[in-house]
Amino acid sequence: MSQNPPLHGGFPSPPPTGMEPPGPQAIHHDPEFHAMRRAYGSFGTVAVLLAAGGFLSYVLLSSFAPDLMNLRLVGHLTVGLTLGLAQFVVMGVAAWRYTRHMSKRIDPTVRRLRAQQRQREQQQTRVPAGRRFRTW
Amino acid sequence: MVTQAAAVVDDFSLQLTLVLFITVVVVTLFTVLLTAPQHDEISEFYLGNRDMSPLRNGLAMCGDYLSAATLLGSTGLVALTGYDGLLQLGGTVVAWMMVLLLIAEPLRNSGKFTLGDTLALRLPRGQRSVRLALALCTLVVCLLYLVAQLVGSVALLTQFIGDPSRTARAMCVVVIGTIVVVYAAIGGMPGATTIQVVKAVMLVAGVGITAVMVMQHFSWNIDRLLSSAADNSNLGDEFLGPGLRYGGTTANKLDFFSLQLAIVLGLAALPHIMMRLLAPRTTQVLRGSVVWAVGLVGFVCLMAGVLGLGATAIVGREQIAEVDPRGDAAILLLAHQLGGAVLEALLSSLAFITLLGVAGGLTLAAASSLAHDLWSEVIRKGKAKQTEELAVARLAAVVIGVLGMMLALLSWGTSTATLAFLAFAIAASAILPTIVYSFFWRGFTGRGALLSLYGGLLCSVLLVVFSPIISSHPTSVYPDADFAWFPLQNPGIVSIPAGFLLGWLGSLAGGREEPAAAATGTSAFDEFQVRALVGTDQG
Repeated sequence: MSQNPPLHGGFPSPPPTGMEPPGPQAIHHDPEFHAMRRAYGSFGTVAVLLAAGGFLSYVLLSSFAPDLMNLRLVGHLTVGLTLGLAQFVVMGVAAWRYTRHMSKRIDPTVRRLRAQQRQREQQQTRVPAGRRFRTW
Repeated sequence: MVTQAAAVVDDFSLQLTLVLFITVVVVTLFTVLLTAPQHDEISEFYLGNRDMSPLRNGLAMCGDYLSAATLLGSTGLVALTGYDGLLQLGGTVVAWMMVLLLIAEPLRNSGKFTLGDTLALRLPRGQRSVRLALALCTLVVCLLYLVAQLVGSVALLTQFIGDPSRTARAMCVVVIGTIVVVYAAIGGMPGATTIQVVKAVMLVAGVGITAVMVMQHFSWNIDRLLSSAADNSNLGDEFLGPGLRYGGTTANKLDFFSLQLAIVLGLAALPHIMMRLLAPRTTQVLRGSVVWAVGLVGFVCLMAGVLGLGATAIVGREQIAEVDPRGDAAILLLAHQLGGAVLEALLSSLAFITLLGVAGGLTLAAASSLAHDLWSEVIRKGKAKQTEELAVARLAAVVIGVLGMMLALLSWGTSTATLAFLAFAIAASAILPTIVYSFFWRGFTGRGALLSLYGGLLCSVLLVVFSPIISSHPTSVYPDADFAWFPLQNPGIVSIPAGFLLGWLGSLAGGREEPAAAATGTSAFDEFQVRALVGTDQG
């Protein structure tokens, strides 16, 4: 957890003299952050396209291919009604996949980055505080 | 004899409704006074208790999200049009997925009190004009949706006492509006949360119990429910197929698609929903809350479908249409058949509480946008004290409430659904593009934000003005005039792409407004993205 030196992975990192920029910049230069960003982005895009696109194409199918939607499957249950019920299933599955993806791929990195950030902030605040004390 | 008996039951039901409604209002009002923000801190007023459990947060979100339009309008639509109504319920559910997948966590991580704060972080240059545009859009969306709720309360009153007189109408709107203002102005977010949680619990319980009774009636056989619904609709299998509501011409079909587009994309961008998303202190709690809300929203929508079908199967489609051609009475008639006056009173008081809760959330969202974005940041340029901002927020809640009441009295004949759908269309075409671009597009600039906010708003409003809602149709506001060159009632299919396009064009036209900070090589977007993904304010 507290491996400080390999913070800057493959990037030409400035010497760790306490001069390194605090806050977002430091995290932004972290390659782990970029991997996480890509994982977050690709999952989000796919999930949104599947959920919204799936539903909207279902609406279009209902409007423009009613014969297909009126096909009976079991009893009075038609293809259209089944697809409508499937929306609820898709929603459940999407919520489950989302939480799993976030807790497996995103959260560990986020926790690590936050911890590093806190350490940096502590170092930054400690030094000036000490100096001020000495001048008194 | 028969009519007399019905009238007696209705009287009893009305009294019971009143007693139940007043009980809930009095209890929640006391709770609101007890939990009202004690200190003059804006964070408490805007965000409320930030340490609530995911379940309670999820209940509050579900309460904010599901309005009386879902409870009465969507079930009525299912009862009257079968398949098309069920599709609408599906849209409501999918729209909540957009909240979970697209908006919730980045917004919570980068936000402070309002969406304006998030945008200011993302577009530090020209943030005042962006805040102004956003406040305007928020105000328009909230007012429209608020008026929709108040008009809905009049429609609900009509179920009990027939066509209400002028005084009864005004009384109803003023009483509901005043309670709403008290919740929002005195209670702030803690007050709104109280009523939302109470309402959501009542909603889930009421809808669940009635659905169980419907299923019991058909001995838990879904096929029997479907077949009796089809038989009693006098339409046969047509009832279970698409096209009853929006069928026939291509324009009608496109109208339906346009509406679904606005619902799926617009519900997620409603200001009071976004405000609720900012409340949890940590991302973990937020995620749990939104997932709880997924379950609750899904459950209520599924049960609403059962209720709508049950209403047609048990009461009969024609009888529902006779009482109210829009179908808003379906669930109350069903309750009357199944559980007599008690169940009917329970569900109608639930409908009033639902109205109240959503209206309270909307008033609060509009008031905080006015106080925080417009007053504190644009007019006072960030120099306003917290006590001052708080006073402005409370005052703004009163002003918005009064404005909403006046507009509701002026436009009481308009259908609740029309107003609500316009609000969704504006949210989807003005607010959503700005959020999506801010979160995910590096090249987005302040100019793009302004263009998409004002452009999306103007485009949706203008298209509605030139649509059959306003003129040329027997049911429109001015049936005698004809300037409706836009054939659809729902502007979403044009205005949503227009909003996105304007944001894109505006950003390209302005060139790169935010040069990377020379020293560190990171731009505002980079820093924003770190905030939005990592949430550096939490441990």
